[in-house]
Amino acid sequence: MTQFRPGRQVMVAGVGLHPFGRFPGKDLPTLALEAVVPALGDAGVQWRDIQVAYFGHVYYNGMSMGEGALGRLGLTGIPIINVENACSSGSTAFWQAYWGITTGIFDLALAFGAEKVPRGPVTVTAEDSPERYIGADHMMAGYALRMRRYMMETGASETALAQVAVKARQNASLNPYSHRKETNSVEDVLQSRMIADPLTLFQCCPTSEGAAAAVLVAEDALSRYSIDKARAIRIAAAVLTSGGYNGKGSDHSAFSPYRTEPAALEAYEVSGLKPEDVDLVQVHDAATIGELQQLEALHLIPFGEAWRATEDGRTAITGDIPTNTDGGLLAMGHPFGATGIRMIHETVLQLRQEAGPRQVKNARVGLAECSGAGDVTTVHILTR
Amino acid sequence: MPESVDTRRLKLTNEERTEGVLLGFRCLECDTVIFGPGTFCQRCTSAKLEPMEFSQTGILYSYTVVRIPSAGWPGPVPYILAQVELSEGPQVLAELVDCLEDALEIGMPVELTLQLVQGEDSSAAKVVYKWRPANQPSPTAEVDP
Ligand SMILES: [Zn+2]
Repeated sequence: MTQFRPGRQVMVAGVGLHPFGRFPGKDLPTLALEAVVPALGDAGVQWRDIQVAYFGHVYYNGMSMGEGALGRLGLTGIPIINVENACSSGSTAFWQAYWGITTGIFDLALAFGAEKVPRGPVTVTAEDSPERYIGADHMMAGYALRMRRYMMETGASETALAQVAVKARQNASLNPYSHRKETNSVEDVLQSRMIADPLTLFQCCPTSEGAAAAVLVAEDALSRYSIDKARAIRIAAAVLTSGGYNGKGSDHSAFSPYRTEPAALEAYEVSGLKPEDVDLVQVHDAATIGELQQLEALHLIPFGEAWRATEDGRTAITGDIPTNTDGGLLAMGHPFGATGIRMIHETVLQLRQEAGPRQVKNARVGLAECSGAGDVTTVHILTR
Repeated sequence: MPESVDTRRLKLTNEERTEGVLLGFRCLECDTVIFGPGTFCQRCTSAKLEPMEFSQTGILYSYTVVRIPSAGWPGPVPYILAQVELSEGPQVLAELVDCLEDALEIGMPVELTLQLVQGEDSSAAKVVYKWRPANQPSPTAEVDP
């Protein structure tokens, strides 16, 4: 399974986040830099020290937006690469930064992502695609198909699904950076506007604006940049896969709800860690059903049982599998290019014990999983 | 005359454009069957593919009633989106018509039906493949020209 062998140990030296929400007065570069500058400060490095930068974003705001944003910090001439990999764009940028360092090409890299997602249902294909006539290009309808099937196969109740959204809001209420601030009840979730049966509005992530950034460094270069080793977080695995043959037809999330599994197995193999070693997890909960199926695909909960684990409180911050501790896509919000790095941000805070009121006790191993159209999956495991 | 929504997935088989067949291929090396176009096999990457036509029926694998459609959806709201498993294996997503929401049930047999769909631009009418419950009389003309 393993296609690549990591080389040098890579660490996350610093992270930064712009709040998620709606910011009509701010352009994309401004959002991005309000995450990048704090990340550089958190790492204690200068912009001029960065050797390569990867920028995750999806929606068109002009060409070469990575260059456009970072140019405002000074034209240092380093390679800057714009990355589009759907909802996994940010985590793909992070993955590229990791591989640039572990292979020995770079010592200090920046991964960042920013997005201003338009309002309304998210589509994947081009405007003149046949899918628009067929009616299948609707991200949340895809999740609704998965949800209906899951409920039929596992006996999961609508109440259990709604509890995923309630928990997300509870966690987000402890997070000053979240798009959604108000907590709600199972009844609120089930009675919110129906988007695609059985998926209600509050079981779908909001479309958001926001930005996130991370500074990555080779462990053997920590002292050269005077980075505080005690705050640096180790990257134990960085895996990216695209859709393999799924036996059901071409790419559609409804066809491959457990597409994360191969990437997860590779991440466990590379890191030498097991699912039971994971202390907290961030997963791609674009819809409530997404969280349940990702937890199962990651082998953190047996297949078909994540809904019951949620009902039993096992995925809460105080449970044994704390999941989406910052509110996740459902309540933190989902600015595509930023989301994958937002997950890294939360994991790093937790492993440093800097997560404040949402701190998971004694967190030592964190896993971040992010998925996107094209059956893209990233799995990163971080340790302290 | 209106065209198939995607000639690589739906071949129209009569003059009136009311009948058609879903297209795909079978891999001659690994026997994999795929709905839609392909130059190479998704599973084994072989180029030895044999075009095939699918049967007209399938089983409802999952469904949803879309109440907030994507921008550019030219059909009625709400509409039923069906995930249908063909007897040959592949799954096909399309609208399910001529069915009350209360009658929907995972596992129910469905059959192919064609409808003319007017795009937002009147010149862009296409014949689109859809599903309907199997073995029941059609309450509407299949294609209204
Ligand atoms: Zn083959």
